Amino acid sequence: MANLHGYLLLGAMLFGLGLVGFLARRNLIVIFLSAELMLQGVVLNLVGFGRFHRDLDGQAFAGFILVIAAVEAGLGLALAVLLLRRKGTPDVEAWRALRG
Amino acid sequence: MTELTTEFWFPPAGQLGWFAPELALIATIVAVVAVPIILGRRARLSACVALLGVVAALLLTGDVGRRVAEEAAAGLAPPGAPPMLIADNFAVFFKAFLLLFLTLVTVLWLFGLTGRRPALARRFAAHSVEFFVLLLGSALGMMVMVSTLNLLMIILAIELASLPSYALAGYDKRDPAGAEASLKYVLFGAVTAAITLYGVSLLYGAFGTLDIPTIAAAMAGGGAGVGAALGLLGLCVGIGFKISAVPFHFWCPDVFEGATIEVATWLSVASKAAGLGLLLRVVTAMGSLDDALAITVGIVATATCTLANFAAYRQQNVKRILAYSSIAHAGYMLMAAAVFVPAASEAEPNLAASALLLYLLTYLFMNFGVFAATACVEWETGSSALSNFIGLGRRAPWLAVPMAVCLLSLVGLPPLGGFLAKWWLLVALGSGAAEHDRLWGLVLVLVLNTLFSLYYYLRIIYMMFLRTEWSRPAPLAPHVGGLVLVNACAVVLLLFGTLGARAVKLLADEYAVHLYAAPLARAAAALVP
Repeated sequence: MANLHGYLLLGAMLFGLGLVGFLARRNLIVIFLSAELMLQGVVLNLVGFGRFHRDLDGQAFAGFILVIAAVEAGLGLALAVLLLRRKGTPDVEAWRALRG
Repeated sequence: MTELTTEFWFPPAGQLGWFAPELALIATIVAVVAVPIILGRRARLSACVALLGVVAALLLTGDVGRRVAEEAAAGLAPPGAPPMLIADNFAVFFKAFLLLFLTLVTVLWLFGLTGRRPALARRFAAHSVEFFVLLLGSALGMMVMVSTLNLLMIILAIELASLPSYALAGYDKRDPAGAEASLKYVLFGAVTAAITLYGVSLLYGAFGTLDIPTIAAAMAGGGAGVGAALGLLGLCVGIGFKISAVPFHFWCPDVFEGATIEVATWLSVASKAAGLGLLLRVVTAMGSLDDALAITVGIVATATCTLANFAAYRQQNVKRILAYSSIAHAGYMLMAAAVFVPAASEAEPNLAASALLLYLLTYLFMNFGVFAATACVEWETGSSALSNFIGLGRRAPWLAVPMAVCLLSLVGLPPLGGFLAKWWLLVALGSGAAEHDRLWGLVLVLVLNTLFSLYYYLRIIYMMFLRTEWSRPAPLAPHVGGLVLVNACAVVLLLFGTLGARAVKLLADEYAVHLYAAPLARAAAALVP
């Protein structure tokens, strides 16, 4: 309660790190990891705010986000396997046939 | 902590009845999985089960619509709390719209089984069960998107609509273009979803509630700080991604080109309709937009249609041209949201909302017509390159003529439905600009963009009818079912523009009333301690 700012700062840092990783890295798996990191920043935010407002909405929301993150990770990793099998490299730059 | 509710709340049957279409769709998803276990996996069987379920849901929507007309809005609400889901006029329109479109796409898919060359058709039919589970799942998400004002439900609905769409884009996993389309879609989707969620967490933090009308009331009461503004911006990023507004449009052309034509057709109309429905709901909940917000939406709309129209110039693939065309149309429809002003009274149809609904209704038929025609060519020739359309006017006149009608309607030429849609949008823009002076520019943007777009639509028509001299390919024998769909769309567009013009406008008006009654009343109630 005393440190809402601490939670928010940590959440923002996780989110920012994820965003930077997402934009800067080229390895498919690292990119998906970065997206997950952004979602975890959001979870921390929600739980912190939920504690601050003294209701359960934030925590319930965080639970749903965990599910969304899991589904997204599942889909992303399935896609990563498919793409790795095709090109043999996890580099996203290998996939640039569709342009214009 | 406040005291926890000790008993478990389960929505009573009376409240659940308002959401019969969604429940029917869920039952259909189960049936699509269960029926092949008993009767064996056959592509046609899955499609028929899905079709039956969707038609049943459509009929149930009609029933809910009649009840909504009698009893006004209702919702799914825990005792003493704002509703999680809303059933009103507006939601009924969008649900019927999405289900009608889903029916058309399913029929197109069925025709695609016989329309494709055998080798492709076998590959295409191999995972029919998965295809329909994903398709119906995304439809369910879009239906929830347009019937809620709760942030949690909005997020769940957006994700429920998006996640199956990612998989649908790469549905034919042996096709490298599909895999790449899926990759780009999922990457853009993941990052926009995270930004949206961050925004939502800020909104929740600033106001301590997940109910948008309550938030809007608090904002109107002067409680808007930096966090709230950032939060709202984050939410808009999510909606912008769904309707592929600039600068969140990058996925759209790649996904349309890489995905199978049926999936591209589905995303081109349904994703945008659901996004615009949600946006209009959020805007109505806020009463009216303040100047800054209205101008921001106006600028995004301007950028969206202008950029898309210019990017479409140099495309050599019809699916890519259509992708940019669909982005441009999303831009036009966004303009209606920018000029949204509450009407004088509740029972009076709202001009901007009515223009948007009318535009969507026309857009469904013109876009579906063009996509179905492209599908016919792609099934026969194996690709949708612009060069495959050369001389189509002689090779398959029954395909080329209605396709040209749909294309001209997309331009907005009279006497077609597209003209009527643009006309009413202009009227709405004019009356909205009377409130916000700076929005007069939008009228000019719409007219100029219609002129810009003329070039690339006419380029397809030119290829089909005038450029025949140097290549004389064999006549094309398009699939009969596809032909029927395309011709039906052309006839509907002709009717919309001539005899049915009045009826269509009245229909749109009918669903544009009582838009803001429910949210505002609830927000007022929420403020009373």
